[in-house]
Amino acid sequence: MSQSKKILIAEDNSILSLLLKFKLEKEGYQLYMATNGKEAIEIIEEFSPEMILTDVMMPFVSGLEVISHTRNKLELKTPIIVFSSAGQEEMVLKAFNLGATDFMSKPFSPNELSIRIKRLLQ
Amino acid sequence: MVNIYQSSIDYLASSPTIIQLSWGLSGIFTFTIFGLALYLKYLRGRLRNKERIQQECQKKYEADLITYLYSGNDEEEITPEQQQIIRSFIKYSESSLQRKLVLTTLLKLKNEISGEMSDAIQKLYYQTGLINYAATKLKSKKWDVIAKGIKELAQFEIKEMHDEIILQINHPKKEVRREIQMYLVKLFHFEGLDFLNVITTQLSEWEQIQLLEILQNFDNQKIPDITNWLESSNNSVTLFALKLAKIYNLFEVKDVVITLLNHPETTVRLAAINVLTHMGDPETVEILKNDYQQRDIEEQIEFLKMMEIMAVTADSGFIMQLTEHTNFEIRVSAMKILKRLDIDEANKFKITATDSEIPDQNKLIKAS
Repeated sequence: MSQSKKILIAEDNSILSLLLKFKLEKEGYQLYMATNGKEAIEIIEEFSPEMILTDVMMPFVSGLEVISHTRNKLELKTPIIVFSSAGQEEMVLKAFNLGATDFMSKPFSPNELSIRIKRLLQ
Repeated sequence: MVNIYQSSIDYLASSPTIIQLSWGLSGIFTFTIFGLALYLKYLRGRLRNKERIQQECQKKYEADLITYLYSGNDEEEITPEQQQIIRSFIKYSESSLQRKLVLTTLLKLKNEISGEMSDAIQKLYYQTGLINYAATKLKSKKWDVIAKGIKELAQFEIKEMHDEIILQINHPKKEVRREIQMYLVKLFHFEGLDFLNVITTQLSEWEQIQLLEILQNFDNQKIPDITNWLESSNNSVTLFALKLAKIYNLFEVKDVVITLLNHPETTVRLAAINVLTHMGDPETVEILKNDYQQRDIEEQIEFLKMMEIMAVTADSGFIMQLTEHTNFEIRVSAMKILKRLDIDEANKFKITATDSEIPDQNKLIKAS
């Protein structure tokens, strides 16, 4: 059943999002791509994905604002996985306070991400 | 039209020299500005074009890299599709601009992912021969090229170049030395610190902080014997080893650290006192108390900081003498220590209070 679920990837690193898109599409998910937080919010509002993968630091609108918008304005309970880099521990705490479900610290393993997605979408 | 032109010529011919000169200069400036504007327009167009080509190339390389990563299978070591991509990357790498773009693409992904994919990118770095370009950079006469080469090898975690890189550990340019240190510690962890045995130049405070920062990221915290570094003739190495002793609580080198209390360099002596304070060694208190007057004022202050933590009642006589010291910091430190000792005394008084004292207190309460 999970094979047709919609996932949003909000990531400004083009090659990383391409890699994740390729991997997750291969596993049967339907992918929506955003290169910044503004695009991510538009996609969430229009397509209501069942899972959101977002980077913390993004141009225009940050990942934290995406989480805040999803939880507080749209009042959605969609699972959100946050990607963070070294030295962004405080950001991760803020993300959890805003309602993030899980986080992955970069560099991360795409296989591990895939397992976490499967678990959260069960 | 001819009349206007003729009248302008006549006007200029009859004008004073300064006016003619002003008009002449205005004309030259107008032409120069116009020429420069045209050149800028051309330059901007060229740069935009170059940027567009770079973006297109990068997009292509990104797609190629993803295809390479996902086209492998368990039966073959390299599939024909992967072989084709390797050949393309080798071809792109012949041009320095395209090679730079390929490297950027590889690193852009390698820095973000770990595990099998990261290893596959490193493998591609070997297969495309990009490693050879980096190895060539190490032989360059330009220091910045050498530094870039070492940085690249560190980013791709190429351990094989260790012997060649370590030869340049005492390079006259600090930027090269810094890249070498980062390479060694990032790839070889604590074992990489062996360069401290051969370094003759000074390790700056910033370099030391960066090395410690990298070392803290490793799971294996097995630290080698740092005695040689503590006894190094290079003071910066000794100071760095003292930092290691403090951060990693290396009590086994306590005796060597104590010998550094008599080091010719004040900064080393101060750092040694600081480390011994951290280790909480009572032996040091006695040593420093005995030759307190012979020590520099900074050492006396540092020692009193140690006493603020470690002083015992028996030291109160020694501390009392310092309350009249001419140095303000020493007086303040001495008062702090006495205050701390007095608090202990007060607590002791309360605990050992006898019953006979209680009626006196009651009387006092009644009287008030």
